[in-house]
Amino acid sequence: MWRQESPHVLAALLRRHGDLADCEDAVQEAAAEATVAWAVRPPDDPRGWLVRVASRRLIDRARSDRARVAREDRMKPAPPTSGTDDSLAMLVLCCHPALPRQAQVALTLRCVAGLSTERIAAAHLVPTATMAQRLSRARATLRDAGARFELPSVAELPGRISVVLDVCHVMATEGHVRTGGPDLLDTDLAAEALRLVRMMHAALPEHDEVSGLLALLLCTGARAATRVDARGDLVPLAEQDRSRWDRAMIAEGVRLLDRVLPRGPVGRFQLQAAIAAVHAEAPSAGETDWAQISALYAMLDDVAPGPAVTLNRAVAVAMDAGPQAGLALLEPLLELPAMRRHHRTHAVRAHLLELAGDPEAAADKYRTASRLTTSLPEQRYLNRRLTALDQ
Amino acid sequence: MKYVVLIHSNPQPWGHPTSDFVAEHQALPKEQRDRLQSDFEELLGQMQANGELVGGEALADPATARLYRWTDGGSVAVDGPYSEAKEHLAGFFLVDVTAERADEIGRRFSGPGETVEIRPAMWPGGEES
Repeated sequence: MWRQESPHVLAALLRRHGDLADCEDAVQEAAAEATVAWAVRPPDDPRGWLVRVASRRLIDRARSDRARVAREDRMKPAPPTSGTDDSLAMLVLCCHPALPRQAQVALTLRCVAGLSTERIAAAHLVPTATMAQRLSRARATLRDAGARFELPSVAELPGRISVVLDVCHVMATEGHVRTGGPDLLDTDLAAEALRLVRMMHAALPEHDEVSGLLALLLCTGARAATRVDARGDLVPLAEQDRSRWDRAMIAEGVRLLDRVLPRGPVGRFQLQAAIAAVHAEAPSAGETDWAQISALYAMLDDVAPGPAVTLNRAVAVAMDAGPQAGLALLEPLLELPAMRRHHRTHAVRAHLLELAGDPEAAADKYRTASRLTTSLPEQRYLNRRLTALDQ
Repeated sequence: MKYVVLIHSNPQPWGHPTSDFVAEHQALPKEQRDRLQSDFEELLGQMQANGELVGGEALADPATARLYRWTDGGSVAVDGPYSEAKEHLAGFFLVDVTAERADEIGRRFSGPGETVEIRPAMWPGGEES
């Protein structure tokens, strides 16, 4: 109940009084009062109750603190807005460009998804105090930047939406790779990201990249249950139990893509979603349409070039045209110091060398990859591959 | 990503901040020493305020260490230090930052006569392959 209501209550307050830190404090105070008052008599309209009490606390604070009198003047009558506009304005505020990415993710989870600081901290494997610091610094940065709770101008909006999409994407990837964490506090960040992108899609149904990201999260989220085995080890795509993939999510993702892809020009989230959809629709790993996937990666390399794209493209090309073609694509990456230190570069090389029938060279690269990774399940996986080669 | 920032140093006598007791550092003009010290404190305060600093401790003299080694089927305890190396672990910080920020922290924490080591911590998640 609280999870659901808090972002709306916060939005209602922000509309009249622009300071995020003050409004969040008032909402917290109202929540504390609610736990007492609602136990005696639950209100008919919980949201209205919370907005009323939180507004009163906000005014009390402004009045009681003479130094803050100036802020009271900023209280304005609320302009009429819809719930979807509020959600979008809140997302845009939390993903303000003055904030580092880490803070954008944390603030979005706090203010839009309504998660407690404790749960956000647990999801990021840091102490609650550290996350609380991060959030309060983020609010102070917003205040200093003069960030306001409102939809940006038409000229500014596309850039801001694109930041929000990046933040949701980072949140989803952080979420779907996490396998640890104490159970009680284990927050599914991928599910939160999906909820937020759905919210954006409701506000901007004709935005192609919003649809693209939603399709991507649906097509990759469909595999969530099969990505990790009972021991917490990563299961590679080729070995996942496809009968347990969520068909309804895949169908929804594919429907979105069918609608936006023909419209062009196609952005990076739509292309990544299209790749995920090709995987999702293959009845078995062996029947994957690698020719199509490698064509999509070629397009992605044009739209959003980068070493990570080249790495994935090399795998697709190898599966389609043979391991040597894939290995050739990897060559330029070895010139980049950052990629030479990245375990994935060597893990992919090892995999392609194994396919090419060169177990000795493959073993050498698996060893390098295993040394460089900082992920425990990936290290276990790479060491398993290495042991399997030796036998 | 979480990193440990390991300060390897050999203050004589052992003391904190270690830079005050390291010959190479003492040899610098006072102005420069003060600036390095205030830079360090400013960065530490900034990391704390940003929610980048997860924790950290200054360590006692390596002579206070107890070492436990397995010998002849049992554990034997002796007094430290762990090694006769020139530098010892003098303190550590745990930070949660990007790789670029970790690099910046390493550069700004380092001083004459000391070595700063940045090591990523392993984490329980991973990428799907």
